[in-house]
Amino acid sequence: MSDSMIAESTERLFAGEVTRAVLDRFEAGQFPHALWQQVTDQGLTLALAGEAAGGIGATWADVYPILRGVGHWQVPLPLAETLIAAQLLSLAGLEVPDGPIALIEEDTVGQFSISHTSVNPSAAGLQLSGTAQRVAWASACRWALISLLPTAVQATGRIALLDLQHSASVQITAHHNPANEPCDTVLLRNAPAVGHAANPFPALRRPLRTLGAIASSAMMVGAMEWLLAQSVQYASDRVQFGKPIGKNQAIQQQLALLAGEVAAARVAAIVACADAPGGGPTPGVSDCAATVFSAAVAKIRCGEAATRSAAIAHQVHGAIGFTFDHRLNFATRRLWAWREAYGADGWWAGKLGEAAIQSRSAGFWPSMTSRRFSGLDLQPNT
Amino acid sequence: MQALTIDPCTLPPGCEALRAEVRAFLADTLRDYPATLRVRNWSGNSPEFSAKLGARGWIGMTWPQRYGGQGRSPLERYVVLEELLSAGAPVGAHWVAERQSALLLMRLSPELLAPRIVPGIALGETYFCIGMSEPDSGSDLASIRTRAVRTDAGWVINGRKVWTSGAHRTHYMIALVRTGTQGEQRQAGLSQLLVDMTTPGLTIRPILSQLGEHDFNEVTFDDVLVPHAHLIGVEGDGWAQVAGELAFERSGPERYLSSTQLLLEMLDTADPHENRHAVALGRIAASYASLRQMSMGVSGMLARGENPAVAAALVKDQGALVEQAMPDIAHDLFGGLAAPDSSLAQVLSYTARAVPSFSLRGGTREILRGIIAKGLGLR
Repeated sequence: MSDSMIAESTERLFAGEVTRAVLDRFEAGQFPHALWQQVTDQGLTLALAGEAAGGIGATWADVYPILRGVGHWQVPLPLAETLIAAQLLSLAGLEVPDGPIALIEEDTVGQFSISHTSVNPSAAGLQLSGTAQRVAWASACRWALISLLPTAVQATGRIALLDLQHSASVQITAHHNPANEPCDTVLLRNAPAVGHAANPFPALRRPLRTLGAIASSAMMVGAMEWLLAQSVQYASDRVQFGKPIGKNQAIQQQLALLAGEVAAARVAAIVACADAPGGGPTPGVSDCAATVFSAAVAKIRCGEAATRSAAIAHQVHGAIGFTFDHRLNFATRRLWAWREAYGADGWWAGKLGEAAIQSRSAGFWPSMTSRRFSGLDLQPNT
Repeated sequence: MQALTIDPCTLPPGCEALRAEVRAFLADTLRDYPATLRVRNWSGNSPEFSAKLGARGWIGMTWPQRYGGQGRSPLERYVVLEELLSAGAPVGAHWVAERQSALLLMRLSPELLAPRIVPGIALGETYFCIGMSEPDSGSDLASIRTRAVRTDAGWVINGRKVWTSGAHRTHYMIALVRTGTQGEQRQAGLSQLLVDMTTPGLTIRPILSQLGEHDFNEVTFDDVLVPHAHLIGVEGDGWAQVAGELAFERSGPERYLSSTQLLLEMLDTADPHENRHAVALGRIAASYASLRQMSMGVSGMLARGENPAVAAALVKDQGALVEQAMPDIAHDLFGGLAAPDSSLAQVLSYTARAVPSFSLRGGTREILRGIIAKGLGLR
């Protein structure tokens, strides 16, 4: 499947099937199982996985249209998470299970901490304990992929697959983000890993946060492109004082600014996908050199653009856009949710800025052109 | 909305070797060039530096060889430009001539004026200024009053231009003048003339900027006689010609890199473990990376022969926001804290006074957003 075929089949599926009725039932708490089945049947969830796992070994550039589509059509599914999990599992030589997969990343500050019963990578019996907060879609997923930070013993970090329905050791407390997507707290007490392996991208200290940031950036771009088109359309249709409101310079200037934000966010997300690892003849061998830099740039710039473009779109739409019935809020609520996911723009800016300051004036520009800062390795906060 | 889409582009092979060559040249040539001069960025003026750059073949490198160019790609030129600007190299002497005037001459007077003048531009020895604005004409260029009348001896120009950057140190002006009546179309009846700055009847008076510097000028035309051959393009087509010229003026990396020296000073002063410093500078770094991709994307459009007018307006609008935020951010982080004789304090003082012009020159923010709104189908 070529990337344009992925784009076409994604568009056909989402445009036809993500109806208002599906979204309303989702808001009422019903996971869209039929839509998930269609997405799975088209092979979208496994696009990044290798052929041995039933996937097509696509690149991140190939799947950009899928992720953008999730934003553009406000698709209420853990598709990004499952794509990422399937890529990592398949590259690590682990079996990719059926069904949606949530992502949990170890973070030694507050979010999650894990005690290993075994530090021998080859031994079975890895058990995980800890609390993970803001886990997207956990209550809708049978599985979770956990990434463990590098340790003295396991320098590359590890990934482990967990069965979230192992009720004796897993407790999920439901929370929701502004888009009403599950964003849950997951409590693990000696939860046994179904399988585990070395992190297949050893150059990525935090593979899930990094790839999650790239995916949510592409999703935000989709939502913002939809916002821009809707806002221009509304400004052309809505007549006040005897003319379309879009004929007023005050409105035109705001929409032009919105277009600039979208353009800046879009290039950042596309470049981040191009710099993401995987696919090609030797999947996983990529040195990931530019991945973290481009992920940081995309998440910062898309997060900023999300904040600004949601505000402009609401202002242009007037009171009608504030009603639940209007579709506008389905996009803006997702932007407010996704700008927080996998590290908010402020978190990534702190990391990128720290590395930029460490590079000082002499190292800054060479780092910009090579798209890598030597200090940008996402060490845990201390 | 197709015109609004900017796709990132990949630099062709060889660009990184070229980049290394330019970096080595700059490290050597600008070894003793201080931050207090680098802060001027592309307003920095050094005929000596321009000549060195021309000798290396790095001015007009995309032009055909018959005009002194190297026939290289717009993306190779992009690499040279971004290296020059990020280093704060003094490219101001030849800047307008290379970016705009030479292109106009090669396009509209390929046999007559271009072979005579453009090779000197490529050598970094011939400099241009632009005669567009007038006392009563800024964004509304169609309202200009400087008039040229055709006589047997040539065109006779009378009128006044203002805000003319570098008029006192350039060899030629391309002047937008009224040669006919407005009629139905306000933009009708305008033409572009090549004016030698040493022509009798031409008077240059300085207009000091709030930087205390002499860059702007008032240029008065008192029966200035210009040869018939100096009409550029077609009589009466000046408006369309200028619109094309302004798209070149808006498309380059200079539209987001102008405040770079202040960013570098902040990076040298900031504490990497102070989160307030890191977050603010991290956001700027992300904007730089995104703008760089947008700006290269516009060069890619030029390389493919596409019209970058709307895309260039988007880049310039977004770029000016970042350039203008720089002194505000520096003030927020370091205002009143840096020693008065420090490089940071001096560069901040200069940049704070310079940035208001960044959303005026080359089309005001409001005009650019009007162009973008047109691209959106709103007007």
